[in-house]
Amino acid sequence: MEVFDGFFDTSTGLRPEVISSLIVMGIIIILAFIVAIQAHFQDPLKKPKGLLFLAEVGVKFFDGLVLDMMGPRFKGFGGYIMAVAIYLFIAFIFGLTGLPSPVTNLAVPLSLALCTFIMIHATSAHYTKLKYFKRYIEPIPIFLPVNLISMWAPLLSMTLRLFGNAISGFCLMTLVYNGLRNVSGMIFSFLETSGPVAWNELFIAPIVTPILHLYFDLFSGLIQTTIFIFLTMINIGLEAPQDDDIQEMSTEGR
Amino acid sequence: MEWGYFVGAGIAMISCGFSAIGEGLLCAHAIDGMSRNPEMYGKLRTTMILGCALVETTGIYCLLVAILCLFVH
Repeated sequence: MEVFDGFFDTSTGLRPEVISSLIVMGIIIILAFIVAIQAHFQDPLKKPKGLLFLAEVGVKFFDGLVLDMMGPRFKGFGGYIMAVAIYLFIAFIFGLTGLPSPVTNLAVPLSLALCTFIMIHATSAHYTKLKYFKRYIEPIPIFLPVNLISMWAPLLSMTLRLFGNAISGFCLMTLVYNGLRNVSGMIFSFLETSGPVAWNELFIAPIVTPILHLYFDLFSGLIQTTIFIFLTMINIGLEAPQDDDIQEMSTEGR
Repeated sequence: MEWGYFVGAGIAMISCGFSAIGEGLLCAHAIDGMSRNPEMYGKLRTTMILGCALVETTGIYCLLVAILCLFVH
């Protein structure tokens, strides 16, 4: 990690993780523009291919997921879920490049969870109007302080779940890298090195760590992305009223 | 009083074991269900992985407390 210390200009006051987050957003915006341009010039009667095909599969998958889990009320909600999922997954695997992963800064998962939190309360207020404030005095008014504290639970748990997973992987990988550097330095100590980089310390780590990166970055990132979007969908979907007309609407929609 | 932080971190990590017990129970019951009803394999596996990640959260909280004890003072 010390190699990249000069890469970021920290005099601007931005943390390196925030700058990686901006890079990830830039990647996603560029991909979105490519897909949009391809979709504009695509003949609708021909089969899509390449990035456009992937985008179509993704949009269909997320729309189906939203329809399954949140009901037909939230028909246009797939876009937000897909954006969050793509951003989180790329942010998790961004640690593979050697630059700091955006999720290892508490601000990034906190802002994502804050979006979900605000959306939960906005949905609730939208569907229950003024009865929204009744949720704070349920079941009896004496529960007001308890409800005021427990309303922050989803925010806290979602933030810490993402952040804890990312930071635990980061800590373990740093430990493994440092340990293997020492081991390699001991084994290859006969290679006398001079200069800024100790080459004899760099031999074992590239052989052992890829399998760990596979787990801590790829698998963990995929699972945590899934968990985050599932919890978002469930929490927001719960706020909508559970009526009998949902069945009717879903059959109409198809 | 430096050693107090390390002892606190160690005590915090003990509770990770309970999270592991929960995960083991979850997997055992999922495998029970799979062996009784093999055509539900795909659905059960997805739900099991989701549940495992949810259960793992408590362990992650413990790890966060331990990291806070070690590095933030």
